[in-house]
Amino acid sequence: MTTPPSQLLVRTGNVTSSAAGVVRKGLANSQRELVSALRENFKAAIGEATLSTKREVEDGNIVDPQTWTESVDGVLTVPAKSPYSGQLKEVREGYEVTVKLFFLPGVEQSRHEQHMKQALEQVLSELGTEYVDLLIVSFPDIHFDADDEDEPVVTSEEVPAFVGTYRVAEELQQNGSVRRLGVSEFGSSRLSSLLKHAKVKPGVDQINVRDCCVVPKPLILFAKEKGIDLLTHDDCAEILNEEILGGVLKEFGFEAGWRPEWVVKYTAVVRDRGVVENKGYFAFAQKGGEAAVEKNGNGNGCDGNGFVKLN
Amino acid sequence: MGLLALGTPFEWAEAKEHADNVRRLGIQQLIDIWKNYKGNERDVLLWGDETEYLVISFDDEGKQAYLSLRQAEILNELAKYRASEAAKVANGDKPIPTFHPEFGRFMLEATPGAPYNVGWDCLLSVEADMKLRRKIARNHMAPNETPISIPSYPRLGTPGKFTEPYHPPTGSKSRSQFLPDEVINPHIRFPTLAANIRSRRGEKVAINVPIFYDKNTPKPFNDPTVDYDRHLFPEDDDVRNGAAKEGHIYMDAMGFGMGCCCLQITFQAKNISEARNLYDQLCPMGPIMLALTAAAPVFKGFLADQDVRWNVISAAVDDRTKEERGEKPLEKSRFRIPKSRYDSVSTYISDSPRLLPEYNNKDLVIDPEFKEQLMKNGMDEILATHFAHLFIRDPIVIFQETLLAPPDGLADHFENIQSTNWQHMRFKPPPPGESIGWRVEFRSMEIQITDFENAAFAVFIVLLTRVILSYDLNFYIPIDKVEENMKTAHARNAVHEKKFHFRKNLFPTRPVTPTRDEHGRISRPPSPSRAESDADARRAQVDNEYTLLTIDEIINGSKSTSDDEEDGFIGLIPLIESYLNTVNVDVQTRCDLARYLDLVSKRANGQLKTGATWIREFVRGHEDYKGDSVVSDKINYDLMKRVEKLGNGTGELDAFDEQLLGKGWRRV
Repeated sequence: MTTPPSQLLVRTGNVTSSAAGVVRKGLANSQRELVSALRENFKAAIGEATLSTKREVEDGNIVDPQTWTESVDGVLTVPAKSPYSGQLKEVREGYEVTVKLFFLPGVEQSRHEQHMKQALEQVLSELGTEYVDLLIVSFPDIHFDADDEDEPVVTSEEVPAFVGTYRVAEELQQNGSVRRLGVSEFGSSRLSSLLKHAKVKPGVDQINVRDCCVVPKPLILFAKEKGIDLLTHDDCAEILNEEILGGVLKEFGFEAGWRPEWVVKYTAVVRDRGVVENKGYFAFAQKGGEAAVEKNGNGNGCDGNGFVKLN
Repeated sequence: MGLLALGTPFEWAEAKEHADNVRRLGIQQLIDIWKNYKGNERDVLLWGDETEYLVISFDDEGKQAYLSLRQAEILNELAKYRASEAAKVANGDKPIPTFHPEFGRFMLEATPGAPYNVGWDCLLSVEADMKLRRKIARNHMAPNETPISIPSYPRLGTPGKFTEPYHPPTGSKSRSQFLPDEVINPHIRFPTLAANIRSRRGEKVAINVPIFYDKNTPKPFNDPTVDYDRHLFPEDDDVRNGAAKEGHIYMDAMGFGMGCCCLQITFQAKNISEARNLYDQLCPMGPIMLALTAAAPVFKGFLADQDVRWNVISAAVDDRTKEERGEKPLEKSRFRIPKSRYDSVSTYISDSPRLLPEYNNKDLVIDPEFKEQLMKNGMDEILATHFAHLFIRDPIVIFQETLLAPPDGLADHFENIQSTNWQHMRFKPPPPGESIGWRVEFRSMEIQITDFENAAFAVFIVLLTRVILSYDLNFYIPIDKVEENMKTAHARNAVHEKKFHFRKNLFPTRPVTPTRDEHGRISRPPSPSRAESDADARRAQVDNEYTLLTIDEIINGSKSTSDDEEDGFIGLIPLIESYLNTVNVDVQTRCDLARYLDLVSKRANGQLKTGATWIREFVRGHEDYKGDSVVSDKINYDLMKRVEKLGNGTGELDAFDEQLLGKGWRRV
């Protein structure tokens, strides 16, 4: 315990069964949902920890993080255990488990392999399952614009990058821990580039459409022809950044300076009943130097005006 | 309506002698069902809707619209069609919709050929299925006939001819001075139902709907169509004894109520506990959806000062005696009964600890013996109370033959009581011997003019149930507030002008600090509000849980009034959107669902008109309207033509139609 951890894993536990604020704030956007879910889960974990050590939490006092977090092999896990976590309650076949992995900007592509495996591992262990039904990969800086009739030309540098990352997903599919693969925010030109290289065809392309009736016809036709389901999502382009993560951590007495590298969102829906039983997030961050702190983390599709209350 | 048993029904004088016996057999059948099916688990979501139609017969030369009484012939044609399609269905084609008789001989009821499941394709097939039903129905009618879907026929019971063919209102079953017995489905069950309700009550039913005072409506208004001088039946004395109230449209027969059309949705739950929870959570939505779907502003040829059918049906089947209604001291009747058999729900039934005793704050009339018997057989008190409450009613129609048959493995006696308790929710046990689970029926909605609207409200309710289950939402308010809301929902334009009691925070509350029990498991500390000694505090807490909201606020959410973003109401459509953002939905589905949610949202916020407002404005803007609240033959003909056009989706929409449906509502 002498070396301070250099990596951080935060988790929300099951958002649907945590407190009211999470769903309510999540209505605004998924960044807010993530942030408020983390906050609720931290509070609940502290509550549990203080109870078990028979100590009272007083307003304004910060509880020693060591009582409710875990630090192993340089990874700080917050909280160590979540009171809202939950294994799937019924037989596995009854669920559709979807996992969406957000690779955040500023991380070398070479580390995606490790990150993808790590993220999936967390979800499988959280839900107590061997596989997920759908893994959607969200690449950094790839955004689909439904209003833009002329899709941007795919640059020659980006194709090998996303294909490289996709290879890892294919490997997971082939080893059985993922049934179906998907990508996020791909227009028809990116999809077509990916298809040229893919060994396992993506079954899903997830696009953010506020007004879902304006999806470009070429994309609809292309997806239909290739048998790719076009699904909708409402996630922010920037689901987490250093400033926002730092804001939450600071409220609970942690140092700032953690640079988030990936976020994974998972949902378990009871297939025959359409009921969401479990939904949550993990985020992973690297201890970064002061230099890495960017001042303005907002913009990029998510309105973050003042919702992170520092102090 | 379910299958119609054939047989010989008792008249009331004899039926009442067998009432106790039927109730006892019914309770025994319920106990058997409960024992056999209470352990059902993991039943899938199946659901279905029921749509009802009036059959209109047009005389285009004379510019007249009538109610067609050819229900039996039309159903016969539809049955032949069904038989002719049976081979295709057996070979895997989609089952065709089914048609059922209803009380009114001018009505049809239709349901999908098979229940829908949870799939998006099913959800999106609802509108097409409804359109198909309408088309099939129309194809099996005479060329001048058409099915239309509005809750109440504007000229039902008006003087002169309103049915094709004409029949004088002199029948001995209803003994109505407005409705001939020939408007009743001739299957013996229905005339007996009407006659026995009247006999049991000891007089004709009396339905008084407030008149809408327009600029030339005589004031005071005394229904000019009432005949005070008729001496055909003893019940003709009713009006001489003050049955018709000043300021009201007076109606005197079951057909006025059971001749109304509704939109009902039934869901199968995964188990009995989920069904009980859904029943309770949807219960406070009943009045909200009634006001939001309001489409019945005209009764017996007059504009009414209300927008919905509900209290008309309630009064139309009110079989309570004067003693039961509290107008005479109790001598022969067993109970004082505050409500009609058709009315809002009086008790919640969930086994969840969230159901605080304060929510069931009505002094419920029950049969204590049945409650005891059910509990002795292992049923918990809350559910036993519910059924003991339903079983205070008499069976109205008893077929002699059913008393001779052994009751085992059947539900006929149970259903005799259960399905003549027409409350705004219905908790439906599995039918014995079938693989159907515990179900909940949502019954308050009014039928809409177009299938687009009917599908929109059906889909809205289905999605709402998924949100309730996913987020474990809590809609509880004291049940007397639901009852109050039901009354509020009747007001003219209640959807925009009234406020409704509604729970402020739908989310489950959780203690800030979970505790651990001696085994180290997390347990929640007992909420202080559950402590017996703390009844006052609990009542205060419950009173603080709800507030008055407009339907716009309930459906679309309200902006917070301060910086604290949590003090506004979240809104049901934002919650549904949140659910849709969580599950995997394809682009096309999302786009289609958006049309439906948009309609519900705009009906709530006033950008679109309810059917009731649209019909009322049509009448008041008609050249033949004299400002006197009278909806003439000519106005009615034009209204029916317009409603037919919208329902069939033919012709162009003008600006007035768009006030009802919005722009571009029609999909390719």
